[in-house]
Amino acid sequence: MSRDTTLAKVGEFKPIDLLAVAAAREVTDGDVVFAGTGLPMLAIGLAQLTTAPTAVCIYEAGSVDGRPISLPTSVGDARCIYQASVASGLFDVFNQLQRGVVDLAFLGGAEVDKYGNVNTTGMGKYGIVPEKRLTGSGGNSDINGLARKTVFIMVQEKRRFREKVDFVTSPGWRVPKWPSGEMVPKKEVYNKAFRGGPEAVISNMGVFRFDENGEMYLDTYHPGCTPQQILENCSFDLNISRVRGETKAPTLGELDLLYKTIDPEGIFLP
Amino acid sequence: MAKPVRMNLKEAVAQIPDGAMLTFSGFTIWRRPMAAVYEMIRQGKKNLHLVEVNGGTHSDLLIGAGCVKIWESCWIGHELFGKIGANLARRAEAGEVIIEDYSHVQILYRMAAGSMGLPYLPTYASMGTDMLNPAYDHLKIAGLRDGSNPKIPKKKYEIVSDPFYGGELLHMPAANPDWCIAHVQMVGEEGTVRVDGQLYSDSEAIKASDNVIIVAEQVVSEDYIRREPTRNLIAGHQVSCIVEQPWGAHPTGCFGCYETDGTFIQNFFKSTRTQEGLDAWVKEWIHDIPDYETYLERIGITRLEQLRANPAFGYSTTIKRGTR
Repeated sequence: MSRDTTLAKVGEFKPIDLLAVAAAREVTDGDVVFAGTGLPMLAIGLAQLTTAPTAVCIYEAGSVDGRPISLPTSVGDARCIYQASVASGLFDVFNQLQRGVVDLAFLGGAEVDKYGNVNTTGMGKYGIVPEKRLTGSGGNSDINGLARKTVFIMVQEKRRFREKVDFVTSPGWRVPKWPSGEMVPKKEVYNKAFRGGPEAVISNMGVFRFDENGEMYLDTYHPGCTPQQILENCSFDLNISRVRGETKAPTLGELDLLYKTIDPEGIFLP
Repeated sequence: MAKPVRMNLKEAVAQIPDGAMLTFSGFTIWRRPMAAVYEMIRQGKKNLHLVEVNGGTHSDLLIGAGCVKIWESCWIGHELFGKIGANLARRAEAGEVIIEDYSHVQILYRMAAGSMGLPYLPTYASMGTDMLNPAYDHLKIAGLRDGSNPKIPKKKYEIVSDPFYGGELLHMPAANPDWCIAHVQMVGEEGTVRVDGQLYSDSEAIKASDNVIIVAEQVVSEDYIRREPTRNLIAGHQVSCIVEQPWGAHPTGCFGCYETDGTFIQNFFKSTRTQEGLDAWVKEWIHDIPDYETYLERIGITRLEQLRANPAFGYSTTIKRGTR
Protein backbone atom coordinates (compact mmCIF):
# COMPACT_ATOMS: atom_id res chain seq x y z
CA MET A 1 0.00 0.00 0.00
CA SER A 2 1.54 3.31 -0.99
CA ARG A 3 1.12 6.16 1.41
CA ASP A 4 1.36 9.89 0.95
CA THR A 5 4.95 10.78 1.90
CA THR A 6 4.40 14.54 1.56
CA LEU A 7 5.63 16.29 4.72
CA ALA A 8 2.90 18.13 6.63
CA LYS A 9 3.52 21.87 7.07
CA VAL A 10 3.49 23.72 10.38
CA GLY A 11 -0.18 24.23 11.23
CA GLU A 12 -1.23 21.03 9.46
CA PHE A 13 -0.33 18.87 12.47
CA LYS A 14 -0.54 19.18 16.26
CA PRO A 15 2.44 18.86 18.62
CA ILE A 16 1.05 15.53 19.87
CA ASP A 17 1.06 14.16 16.30
CA LEU A 18 4.75 14.90 15.94
CA LEU A 19 5.48 13.29 19.33
CA ALA A 20 3.79 10.06 18.19
CA VAL A 21 5.53 10.10 14.80
CA ALA A 22 8.98 10.94 16.18
CA ALA A 23 8.62 8.16 18.77
CA ALA A 24 7.51 5.66 16.11
CA ARG A 25 10.67 6.43 14.13
CA GLU A 26 12.78 5.19 17.06
CA VAL A 27 11.53 1.63 16.53
CA THR A 28 13.74 -0.73 14.49
CA ASP A 29 11.97 -3.54 12.69
CA GLY A 30 12.11 -6.69 14.80
CA ASP A 31 12.45 -4.84 18.12
CA VAL A 32 10.74 -6.20 21.22
CA VAL A 33 9.08 -3.05 22.57
CA PHE A 34 7.69 -2.42 26.05
CA ALA A 35 5.01 0.27 25.81
CA GLY A 36 2.99 2.14 28.40
CA THR A 37 -0.41 3.83 28.23
CA GLY A 38 -1.14 6.75 25.88
CA LEU A 39 1.30 8.12 23.31
CA PRO A 40 3.51 4.99 23.42
CA MET A 41 0.50 2.99 22.16
CA LEU A 42 0.14 5.35 19.19
CA ALA A 43 3.88 5.19 18.51
CA ILE A 44 4.18 1.40 18.48
CA GLY A 45 0.97 1.10 16.46
CA LEU A 46 2.30 3.53 13.84
CA ALA A 47 5.71 1.85 13.72
CA GLN A 48 4.11 -1.57 13.15
CA LEU A 49 2.03 -0.15 10.29
CA THR A 50 4.99 1.56 8.62
CA THR A 51 8.67 0.81 9.19
CA ALA A 52 8.62 -1.95 11.81
CA PRO A 53 5.96 -4.52 10.84
CA THR A 54 7.63 -7.34 12.79
CA ALA A 55 8.17 -5.38 16.01
CA VAL A 56 6.69 -7.16 19.04
CA CYS A 57 4.76 -5.13 21.62
CA ILE A 58 4.64 -6.13 25.29
CA TYR A 59 2.32 -4.41 27.78
CA GLU A 60 3.31 -4.69 31.42
CA ALA A 61 -0.08 -5.97 32.64
CA GLY A 62 0.67 -9.24 30.85
CA SER A 63 0.04 -8.94 27.12
CA VAL A 64 2.56 -10.27 24.62
CA ASP A 65 2.44 -9.37 20.91
CA GLY A 66 -1.23 -8.46 20.73
CA ARG A 67 -2.73 -7.26 17.46
CA PRO A 68 -5.50 -5.00 18.75
CA ILE A 69 -8.06 -3.74 16.26
CA SER A 70 -9.40 -1.24 18.82
CA LEU A 71 -7.01 1.10 20.66
CA PRO A 72 -6.52 0.18 24.34
CA THR A 73 -6.93 3.05 26.82
CA SER A 74 -4.53 1.46 29.30
CA VAL A 75 -2.21 -1.53 29.44
CA GLY A 76 -4.70 -3.51 31.54
CA ASP A 77 -7.39 -3.05 28.87
CA ALA A 78 -9.14 -6.13 27.48
CA ARG A 79 -8.23 -4.83 23.99
CA CYS A 80 -4.49 -5.43 24.58
CA ILE A 81 -4.70 -9.19 24.17
CA TYR A 82 -6.79 -9.33 21.01
CA GLN A 83 -4.87 -11.80 18.79
CA ALA A 84 -1.99 -11.82 21.31
CA SER A 85 0.42 -14.73 21.28
CA VAL A 86 0.31 -14.98 25.09
CA ALA A 87 -1.85 -13.43 27.78
CA SER A 88 0.02 -13.77 31.05
CA GLY A 89 0.76 -11.44 33.91
CA LEU A 90 3.33 -9.07 35.37
CA PHE A 91 5.57 -11.84 36.63
CA ASP A 92 6.02 -13.21 33.10
CA VAL A 93 6.60 -9.95 31.25
CA PHE A 94 8.81 -8.30 33.87
CA ASN A 95 10.90 -11.47 34.04
CA GLN A 96 11.33 -11.22 30.25
CA LEU A 97 12.54 -7.65 30.82
CA GLN A 98 15.00 -8.76 33.50
CA ARG A 99 16.13 -11.63 31.24
CA GLY A 100 17.22 -9.04 28.66
CA VAL A 101 14.57 -9.61 26.02
CA VAL A 102 13.40 -6.00 25.68
CA ASP A 103 15.10 -3.86 23.01
CA LEU A 104 13.17 -0.62 23.35
CA ALA A 105 10.70 0.98 25.73
CA PHE A 106 8.59 4.11 25.62
CA LEU A 107 8.18 5.96 28.90
CA GLY A 108 7.00 9.30 30.29
CA GLY A 109 7.71 11.50 33.29
CA ALA A 110 7.02 14.75 35.09
CA GLU A 111 10.64 16.00 35.12
CA VAL A 112 14.01 14.95 33.75
CA ASP A 113 17.63 15.92 34.43
CA LYS A 114 20.56 16.10 32.00
CA TYR A 115 21.53 12.48 32.69
CA GLY A 116 18.04 11.22 31.88
CA ASN A 117 17.00 10.61 35.49
CA VAL A 118 13.23 10.97 35.59
CA ASN A 119 10.85 11.80 38.41
CA THR A 120 7.28 10.53 38.59
CA THR A 121 7.05 10.31 42.39
CA GLY A 122 6.80 13.77 43.94
CA MET A 123 7.53 17.45 43.32
CA GLY A 124 9.23 19.64 45.90
CA LYS A 125 10.57 18.19 49.12
CA TYR A 126 9.92 14.46 49.38
CA GLY A 127 9.68 12.51 52.63
CA ILE A 128 7.25 10.89 55.02
CA VAL A 129 5.06 13.98 54.54
CA PRO A 130 5.61 14.82 50.84
CA GLU A 131 5.12 18.31 49.46
CA LYS A 132 3.34 17.20 46.27
CA ARG A 133 2.73 13.55 45.59
CA LEU A 134 2.52 12.23 42.01
CA THR A 135 1.68 8.70 40.80
CA GLY A 136 4.87 6.86 41.76
CA SER A 137 7.20 4.77 39.62
CA GLY A 138 5.01 2.02 38.23
CA GLY A 139 7.21 0.03 35.85
CA ASN A 140 9.01 3.14 34.56
CA SER A 141 12.10 2.66 36.70
CA ASP A 142 12.36 -1.10 36.11
CA ILE A 143 12.01 -0.71 32.37
CA ASN A 144 14.45 2.22 32.15
CA GLY A 145 16.90 0.20 34.21
CA LEU A 146 16.77 -3.04 32.24
CA ALA A 147 15.76 -2.38 28.61
CA ARG A 148 18.50 -1.83 26.00
CA LYS A 149 17.11 1.53 24.90
CA THR A 150 14.41 3.77 26.31
CA VAL A 151 12.68 6.77 24.79
CA PHE A 152 10.97 9.35 26.99
CA ILE A 153 8.06 11.44 25.80
CA MET A 154 7.80 14.63 27.88
CA VAL A 155 6.34 18.12 28.03
CA GLN A 156 9.03 20.79 27.54
CA GLU A 157 8.99 23.39 30.32
CA LYS A 158 11.78 25.07 32.29
CA ARG A 159 10.53 23.50 35.52
CA ARG A 160 10.49 20.02 33.94
CA PHE A 161 14.01 20.00 32.37
CA ARG A 162 16.05 20.41 35.55
CA GLU A 163 19.64 20.32 36.79
CA LYS A 164 18.52 17.88 39.48
CA VAL A 165 15.15 16.16 39.78
CA ASP A 166 13.39 16.18 43.16
CA PHE A 167 13.23 12.36 43.27
CA VAL A 168 15.16 9.91 41.08
CA THR A 169 12.32 7.56 40.19
CA SER A 170 13.79 6.21 36.98
CA PRO A 171 17.54 5.68 36.50
CA GLY A 172 19.38 7.62 33.76
CA TRP A 173 23.06 7.49 32.81
CA ARG A 174 24.39 8.75 36.20
CA VAL A 175 22.50 7.48 39.21
CA PRO A 176 22.72 7.45 43.02
CA LYS A 177 24.57 4.41 44.40
CA TRP A 178 23.13 3.46 47.79
CA PRO A 179 23.72 3.49 50.70
CA SER A 180 25.98 6.55 50.16
CA GLY A 181 23.91 8.16 47.39
CA GLU A 182 27.02 9.16 45.45
CA MET A 183 26.21 9.83 41.77
CA VAL A 184 28.03 7.26 39.64
CA PRO A 185 27.74 5.94 36.08
CA LYS A 186 24.76 3.58 35.80
CA LYS A 187 27.04 0.72 34.77
CA GLU A 188 28.69 0.72 38.20
CA VAL A 189 25.35 0.03 39.87
CA TYR A 190 23.88 -2.46 37.39
CA ASN A 191 27.00 -4.60 36.86
CA LYS A 192 26.16 -7.54 34.62
CA ALA A 193 22.58 -6.39 34.19
CA PHE A 194 23.70 -3.17 32.50
CA ARG A 195 22.36 -3.08 28.95
CA GLY A 196 21.95 0.60 28.09
CA GLY A 197 19.59 3.36 29.07
CA PRO A 198 17.82 6.47 27.79
CA GLU A 199 18.36 6.79 24.04
CA ALA A 200 16.23 9.85 23.42
CA VAL A 201 13.90 12.33 25.05
CA ILE A 202 11.20 13.61 22.73
CA SER A 203 9.44 16.77 23.87
CA ASN A 204 6.89 18.99 22.18
CA MET A 205 9.86 21.19 21.08
CA GLY A 206 12.68 18.87 20.11
CA VAL A 207 14.45 15.51 20.18
CA PHE A 208 17.30 15.13 22.66
CA ARG A 209 19.95 12.41 22.85
CA PHE A 210 22.81 11.56 25.21
CA ASP A 211 26.55 11.86 24.56
CA GLU A 212 29.50 9.64 25.53
CA ASN A 213 29.34 11.00 29.11
CA GLY A 214 25.61 10.35 29.40
CA GLU A 215 24.76 14.05 29.13
CA MET A 216 21.78 15.28 27.17
CA TYR A 217 22.20 17.30 23.96
CA LEU A 218 19.76 18.72 21.46
CA ASP A 219 19.62 16.52 18.37
CA THR A 220 16.81 18.14 16.36
CA TYR A 221 14.27 20.91 16.96
CA HIS A 222 10.69 20.57 15.83
CA PRO A 223 9.37 22.60 12.89
CA GLY A 224 8.27 25.99 14.23
CA CYS A 225 10.71 25.90 17.20
CA THR A 226 14.28 27.22 17.50
CA PRO A 227 17.23 25.97 19.58
CA GLN A 228 17.08 29.32 21.42
CA GLN A 229 13.45 28.73 22.45
CA ILE A 230 14.42 25.27 23.67
CA LEU A 231 17.27 26.72 25.76
CA GLU A 232 14.76 29.11 27.31
CA ASN A 233 12.59 26.13 28.30
CA CYS A 234 15.39 24.16 29.94
CA SER A 235 16.89 24.98 33.33
CA PHE A 236 20.22 23.18 32.90
CA ASP A 237 23.08 24.08 30.60
CA LEU A 238 21.89 22.19 27.50
CA ASN A 239 24.42 21.38 24.79
CA ILE A 240 23.06 22.60 21.45
CA SER A 241 26.36 22.39 19.57
CA ARG A 242 25.55 19.00 18.03
CA VAL A 243 22.14 19.92 16.67
CA ARG A 244 21.51 18.34 13.26
CA GLY A 245 18.62 20.56 12.19
CA GLU A 246 14.88 20.30 12.12
CA THR A 247 12.91 17.22 13.20
CA LYS A 248 11.30 15.60 10.19
CA ALA A 249 7.64 16.57 10.18
CA PRO A 250 4.91 13.91 10.03
CA THR A 251 3.97 12.81 6.54
CA LEU A 252 0.38 13.10 5.42
CA GLY A 253 0.31 9.30 5.24
CA GLU A 254 1.42 8.98 8.87
CA LEU A 255 -1.22 11.49 10.00
CA ASP A 256 -3.84 9.56 8.09
CA LEU A 257 -2.86 6.31 9.83
CA LEU A 258 -2.87 7.96 13.26
CA TYR A 259 -6.31 9.54 12.91
CA LYS A 260 -8.13 7.02 10.74
CA THR A 261 -6.61 3.64 11.60
CA ILE A 262 -4.93 3.80 15.02
CA ASP A 263 -7.11 6.22 16.99
CA PRO A 264 -10.28 6.68 14.93
CA GLU A 265 -12.34 7.16 18.10
CA GLY A 266 -10.27 10.18 19.21
CA ILE A 267 -9.08 8.76 22.54
CA PHE A 268 -5.53 10.11 22.70
CA LEU A 269 -5.85 12.27 19.55
CA PRO A 270 -9.02 14.27 20.21
CA MET B 1 -7.23 -26.09 54.50
CA ALA B 2 -10.93 -26.79 54.65
CA LYS B 3 -13.32 -26.27 51.79
CA PRO B 4 -14.04 -22.55 51.29
CA VAL B 5 -17.23 -21.19 52.78
CA ARG B 6 -19.91 -19.54 50.63
CA MET B 7 -20.87 -16.15 52.10
CA ASN B 8 -22.56 -12.95 51.17
CA LEU B 9 -20.48 -9.82 50.70
CA LYS B 10 -21.25 -8.31 54.10
CA GLU B 11 -20.27 -11.51 55.94
CA ALA B 12 -17.08 -11.92 53.94
CA VAL B 13 -15.91 -8.35 54.53
CA ALA B 14 -16.88 -8.50 58.23
CA GLN B 15 -14.08 -11.06 58.74
CA ILE B 16 -11.38 -8.46 58.01
CA PRO B 17 -10.25 -6.82 61.26
CA ASP B 18 -9.13 -3.22 61.61
CA GLY B 19 -5.38 -2.93 61.09
CA ALA B 20 -5.23 -5.93 58.74
CA MET B 21 -2.65 -6.11 55.96
CA LEU B 22 -4.59 -6.30 52.72
CA THR B 23 -4.00 -6.85 49.01
CA PHE B 24 -6.20 -7.10 45.89
CA SER B 25 -6.65 -8.61 42.44
CA GLY B 26 -6.43 -6.60 39.25
CA PHE B 27 -4.39 -3.86 37.67
CA THR B 28 -5.00 -0.08 38.06
CA ILE B 29 -8.61 0.25 36.79
CA TRP B 30 -9.20 -3.38 35.84
CA ARG B 31 -10.83 -6.19 37.87
CA ARG B 32 -10.71 -4.50 41.27
CA PRO B 33 -13.01 -5.83 44.04
CA MET B 34 -15.03 -2.61 44.18
CA ALA B 35 -18.18 -4.08 45.78
CA ALA B 36 -16.01 -5.31 48.66
CA VAL B 37 -14.25 -1.94 48.89
CA TYR B 38 -17.61 -0.14 49.17
CA GLU B 39 -18.63 -2.62 51.87
CA MET B 40 -15.39 -2.07 53.82
CA ILE B 41 -16.11 1.64 53.86
CA ARG B 42 -19.73 0.99 54.88
CA GLN B 43 -18.47 -1.16 57.76
CA GLY B 44 -16.03 1.59 58.80
CA LYS B 45 -12.72 -0.32 58.62
CA LYS B 46 -9.77 1.52 60.14
CA ASN B 47 -5.96 1.50 60.00
CA LEU B 48 -5.74 -0.92 57.09
CA HIS B 49 -2.24 -1.64 55.80
CA LEU B 50 -2.37 -1.96 52.01
CA VAL B 51 0.43 -3.84 50.27
CA GLU B 52 -0.42 -3.97 46.59
CA VAL B 53 1.49 -4.47 43.37
CA ASN B 54 -0.19 -1.33 42.03
CA GLY B 55 -3.00 0.95 43.17
CA GLY B 56 -6.02 2.36 41.43
CA THR B 57 -9.54 3.64 41.94
CA HIS B 58 -10.24 1.08 44.68
CA SER B 59 -7.29 2.05 46.89
CA ASP B 60 -7.61 5.79 46.28
CA LEU B 61 -11.24 5.55 47.46
CA LEU B 62 -10.38 3.43 50.53
CA ILE B 63 -7.63 5.89 51.45
CA GLY B 64 -9.87 8.91 50.90
CA ALA B 65 -12.55 7.37 53.12
CA GLY B 66 -10.09 7.18 56.02
CA CYS B 67 -9.77 3.37 56.16
CA VAL B 68 -6.00 3.20 55.51
CA LYS B 69 -2.91 3.95 57.61
CA ILE B 70 -0.10 2.56 55.41
CA TRP B 71 0.13 2.18 51.61
CA GLU B 72 3.05 0.13 50.26
CA SER B 73 3.06 0.04 46.47
CA CYS B 74 4.51 1.59 43.35
CA TRP B 75 1.78 3.55 41.55
CA ILE B 76 -1.67 5.01 42.03
CA GLY B 77 -4.00 6.78 39.61
CA HIS B 78 -6.95 6.17 37.31
CA GLU B 79 -5.10 5.86 33.97
CA LEU B 80 -6.79 8.01 31.30
CA PHE B 81 -9.59 8.97 33.69
CA GLY B 82 -7.60 10.69 36.45
CA LYS B 83 -3.87 11.33 36.33
CA ILE B 84 -3.04 10.86 40.03
CA GLY B 85 -4.50 9.24 43.12
CA ALA B 86 -5.66 12.56 44.52
CA ASN B 87 -6.99 11.09 47.77
CA LEU B 88 -3.68 9.39 48.56
CA ALA B 89 -1.84 12.60 47.64
CA ARG B 90 -4.02 14.74 49.91
CA ARG B 91 -3.84 12.36 52.87
CA ALA B 92 -0.07 11.80 52.50
CA GLU B 93 0.60 15.54 52.19
CA ALA B 94 -1.39 16.00 55.43
CA GLY B 95 0.69 13.31 57.19
CA GLU B 96 -2.36 11.05 57.61
CA VAL B 97 -1.15 8.09 55.53
CA ILE B 98 2.37 6.65 55.29
CA ILE B 99 3.58 5.81 51.78
CA GLU B 100 6.35 3.26 51.24
CA ASP B 101 7.60 3.48 47.64
CA TYR B 102 8.82 0.60 45.50
CA SER B 103 9.19 -0.02 41.81
CA HIS B 104 6.69 -2.31 40.10
CA VAL B 105 9.10 -5.23 40.00
CA GLN B 106 10.31 -4.67 43.57
CA ILE B 107 6.80 -4.85 45.04
CA LEU B 108 5.86 -7.68 42.65
CA TYR B 109 8.85 -9.69 43.83
CA ARG B 110 7.86 -9.06 47.45
CA MET B 111 4.49 -10.65 46.67
CA ALA B 112 6.05 -13.43 44.56
CA ALA B 113 8.47 -14.33 47.38
CA GLY B 114 5.49 -14.48 49.74
CA SER B 115 3.63 -16.74 47.34
CA MET B 116 6.61 -19.13 47.16
CA GLY B 117 7.10 -19.39 50.90
CA LEU B 118 10.52 -17.73 50.55
CA PRO B 119 11.81 -14.95 52.82
CA TYR B 120 13.04 -12.82 49.88
CA LEU B 121 13.80 -12.76 46.17
CA PRO B 122 16.81 -11.25 44.37
CA THR B 123 16.39 -8.73 41.56
CA TYR B 124 18.27 -6.11 39.55
CA ALA B 125 15.14 -3.98 39.25
CA SER B 126 15.36 -0.23 39.88
CA MET B 127 18.76 -0.10 41.49
CA GLY B 128 20.23 3.41 41.41
CA THR B 129 16.94 5.11 42.27
CA ASP B 130 15.51 7.02 45.22
CA MET B 131 13.20 4.11 46.09
CA LEU B 132 16.37 2.83 47.82
CA ASN B 133 17.23 6.16 49.45
CA PRO B 134 17.34 5.55 53.23
CA ALA B 135 15.85 9.03 53.74
CA TYR B 136 12.66 7.76 52.14
CA ASP B 137 12.37 4.50 54.12
CA HIS B 138 9.21 5.85 55.70
CA LEU B 139 8.26 2.78 57.72
CA LYS B 140 11.67 2.90 59.40
CA ILE B 141 11.37 6.64 60.02
CA ALA B 142 7.92 5.98 61.58
CA GLY B 143 9.54 3.39 63.90
CA LEU B 144 7.64 0.50 62.34
CA ARG B 145 10.66 -1.63 61.39
CA ASP B 146 11.38 -2.57 65.02
CA GLY B 147 10.18 -6.17 64.65
CA SER B 148 6.99 -5.68 66.69
CA ASN B 149 4.79 -6.25 63.63
CA PRO B 150 5.72 -9.61 62.06
CA LYS B 151 4.27 -8.45 58.73
CA ILE B 152 6.76 -5.55 58.46
CA PRO B 153 10.34 -6.62 57.64
CA LYS B 154 13.17 -5.09 59.67
CA LYS B 155 14.75 -3.75 56.47
CA LYS B 156 13.13 -2.36 53.34
CA TYR B 157 15.70 -4.11 51.12
CA GLU B 158 19.30 -5.29 51.18
CA ILE B 159 22.01 -4.89 48.54
CA VAL B 160 23.94 -8.16 48.52
CA SER B 161 26.81 -9.78 46.64
CA ASP B 162 25.86 -12.48 44.18
CA PRO B 163 27.56 -15.50 45.82
CA PHE B 164 27.59 -17.54 42.59
CA TYR B 165 28.47 -15.34 39.62
CA GLY B 166 29.73 -12.09 41.18
CA GLY B 167 28.31 -8.60 41.20
CA GLU B 168 25.65 -7.05 43.38
CA LEU B 169 21.89 -7.04 43.39
CA LEU B 170 18.86 -6.40 45.57
CA HIS B 171 17.06 -8.72 47.93
CA MET B 172 13.41 -7.79 48.42
CA PRO B 173 11.68 -9.20 51.53
CA ALA B 174 8.55 -11.33 51.14
CA ALA B 175 5.10 -9.89 51.74
CA ASN B 176 2.40 -12.13 53.17
CA PRO B 177 -0.79 -10.06 53.52
CA ASP B 178 -3.39 -11.17 56.06
CA TRP B 179 -6.10 -10.95 53.41
CA CYS B 180 -6.43 -10.86 49.65
CA ILE B 181 -9.73 -9.81 48.09
CA ALA B 182 -9.87 -10.88 44.47
CA HIS B 183 -12.57 -10.19 41.92
CA VAL B 184 -12.63 -12.86 39.20
CA GLN B 185 -14.91 -14.00 36.41
CA MET B 186 -15.73 -17.45 37.77
CA VAL B 187 -15.33 -19.68 40.81
CA GLY B 188 -16.48 -23.25 41.45
CA GLU B 189 -18.54 -24.19 44.51
CA GLU B 190 -15.40 -25.73 46.03
CA GLY B 191 -13.31 -22.66 45.34
CA THR B 192 -11.57 -23.42 42.04
CA VAL B 193 -10.78 -20.01 40.55
CA ARG B 194 -10.87 -19.14 36.83
CA VAL B 195 -9.49 -15.83 35.55
CA ASP B 196 -9.90 -14.75 31.93
CA GLY B 197 -7.76 -12.22 30.07
CA GLN B 198 -4.53 -10.80 31.43
CA LEU B 199 -3.75 -12.35 34.81
CA TYR B 200 -2.03 -9.20 36.19
CA SER B 201 -0.46 -10.23 39.55
CA ASP B 202 -3.47 -12.18 40.85
CA SER B 203 -1.68 -15.48 41.28
CA GLU B 204 1.09 -13.92 43.39
CA ALA B 205 -1.36 -11.81 45.48
CA ILE B 206 -3.70 -14.73 46.19
CA LYS B 207 -1.00 -17.28 46.98
CA ALA B 208 0.96 -14.86 49.19
CA SER B 209 -2.03 -14.08 51.41
CA ASP B 210 -3.03 -15.93 54.58
CA ASN B 211 -6.76 -15.60 53.85
CA VAL B 212 -8.44 -15.19 50.48
CA ILE B 213 -11.89 -13.82 49.65
CA ILE B 214 -12.91 -14.61 46.07
CA VAL B 215 -15.68 -12.40 44.72
CA ALA B 216 -16.86 -13.81 41.41
CA GLU B 217 -19.17 -12.72 38.64
CA GLN B 218 -20.53 -16.27 38.73
CA VAL B 219 -20.33 -19.24 41.09
CA VAL B 220 -20.62 -22.45 39.08
CA SER B 221 -20.59 -26.16 39.88
CA GLU B 222 -17.18 -27.74 40.43
CA ASP B 223 -18.06 -30.31 37.78
CA TYR B 224 -18.40 -27.53 35.21
CA ILE B 225 -15.20 -25.64 36.10
CA ARG B 226 -13.14 -28.87 36.26
CA ARG B 227 -14.01 -29.86 32.69
CA GLU B 228 -11.22 -27.50 31.53
CA PRO B 229 -8.63 -27.43 34.34
CA THR B 230 -6.03 -25.77 32.10
CA ARG B 231 -8.13 -22.59 32.21
CA ASN B 232 -8.08 -22.43 36.03
CA LEU B 233 -5.64 -20.38 38.10
CA ILE B 234 -6.09 -21.30 41.78
CA ALA B 235 -7.26 -24.46 43.55
CA GLY B 236 -9.93 -24.27 46.26
CA HIS B 237 -7.55 -25.21 49.08
CA GLN B 238 -5.92 -21.76 48.73
CA VAL B 239 -9.28 -19.97 49.04
CA SER B 240 -11.02 -19.11 52.34
CA CYS B 241 -14.45 -18.00 51.18
CA ILE B 242 -16.38 -17.30 48.01
CA VAL B 243 -18.95 -14.63 47.21
CA GLU B 244 -21.09 -14.24 44.11
CA GLN B 245 -21.41 -10.60 43.06
CA PRO B 246 -22.24 -9.88 39.42
CA TRP B 247 -20.83 -6.53 38.20
CA GLY B 248 -18.84 -6.47 41.46
CA ALA B 249 -15.80 -4.77 39.90
CA HIS B 250 -17.73 -1.73 38.58
CA PRO B 251 -16.56 0.96 37.80
CA THR B 252 -13.36 -0.95 36.99
CA GLY B 253 -13.49 -3.35 34.03
CA CYS B 254 -13.62 -7.13 33.92
CA PHE B 255 -12.30 -8.92 30.81
CA GLY B 256 -15.00 -10.74 28.89
CA CYS B 257 -17.73 -9.33 31.14
CA TYR B 258 -17.69 -5.53 31.04
CA GLU B 259 -15.73 -2.41 30.19
CA THR B 260 -14.15 0.04 32.63
CA ASP B 261 -16.75 2.77 33.28
CA GLY B 262 -14.46 5.68 32.39
CA THR B 263 -17.11 8.36 32.78
CA PHE B 264 -17.91 7.17 36.31
CA ILE B 265 -14.22 7.10 37.29
CA GLN B 266 -13.61 10.52 35.72
CA ASN B 267 -16.50 11.94 37.76
CA PHE B 268 -15.11 10.30 40.90
CA PHE B 269 -11.69 11.82 40.21
CA LYS B 270 -13.05 15.31 39.53
CA SER B 271 -15.44 15.41 42.49
CA THR B 272 -13.10 13.94 45.14
CA ARG B 273 -10.06 16.22 44.88
CA THR B 274 -11.05 17.72 48.26
CA GLN B 275 -11.97 15.87 51.46
CA GLU B 276 -15.42 17.53 51.41
CA GLY B 277 -15.94 16.28 47.87
CA LEU B 278 -14.83 12.78 48.82
CA ASP B 279 -17.09 12.73 51.89
CA ALA B 280 -20.08 13.78 49.78
CA TRP B 281 -19.26 11.11 47.19
CA VAL B 282 -18.98 8.40 49.87
CA LYS B 283 -22.30 9.48 51.39
CA GLU B 284 -24.06 9.43 48.01
CA TRP B 285 -22.63 6.17 46.64
CA ILE B 286 -21.98 4.15 49.81
CA HIS B 287 -23.59 5.27 53.07
CA ASP B 288 -26.94 6.32 51.57
CA ILE B 289 -27.14 2.93 49.82
CA PRO B 290 -27.77 -0.26 51.84
CA ASP B 291 -26.09 -2.74 49.49
CA TYR B 292 -24.50 -3.36 46.10
CA GLU B 293 -27.80 -4.33 44.45
CA THR B 294 -29.13 -0.84 45.15
CA TYR B 295 -25.87 0.61 43.80
CA LEU B 296 -26.33 -1.29 40.54
CA GLU B 297 -29.95 -0.09 40.31
CA ARG B 298 -28.65 3.45 40.60
CA ILE B 299 -26.07 2.89 37.82
CA GLY B 300 -28.99 1.59 35.74
CA ILE B 301 -29.53 -1.21 33.26
CA THR B 302 -28.98 1.06 30.25
CA ARG B 303 -25.49 2.03 31.35
CA LEU B 304 -24.59 -1.50 32.38
CA GLU B 305 -25.67 -2.82 28.98
CA GLN B 306 -23.41 -0.25 27.27
CA LEU B 307 -20.51 -1.55 29.35
CA ARG B 308 -21.23 -5.22 28.70
CA ALA B 309 -18.49 -7.00 26.74
CA ASN B 310 -19.04 -8.43 23.30
CA PRO B 311 -18.04 -12.12 23.57
CA ALA B 312 -16.18 -12.02 20.25
CA PHE B 313 -13.69 -9.50 21.65
CA GLY B 314 -13.92 -9.53 25.44
CA TYR B 315 -14.74 -5.81 25.53
CA SER B 316 -17.68 -3.53 24.71
CA THR B 317 -18.06 -2.49 21.09
CA THR B 318 -20.93 -0.08 21.73
CA ILE B 319 -19.53 2.30 24.35
CA LYS B 320 -18.39 5.78 23.30
CA ARG B 321 -14.76 6.18 24.39
CA GLY B 322 -13.25 9.19 22.60
CA THR B 323 -14.28 12.44 20.98
CA ARG B 324 -15.16 10.98 17.55
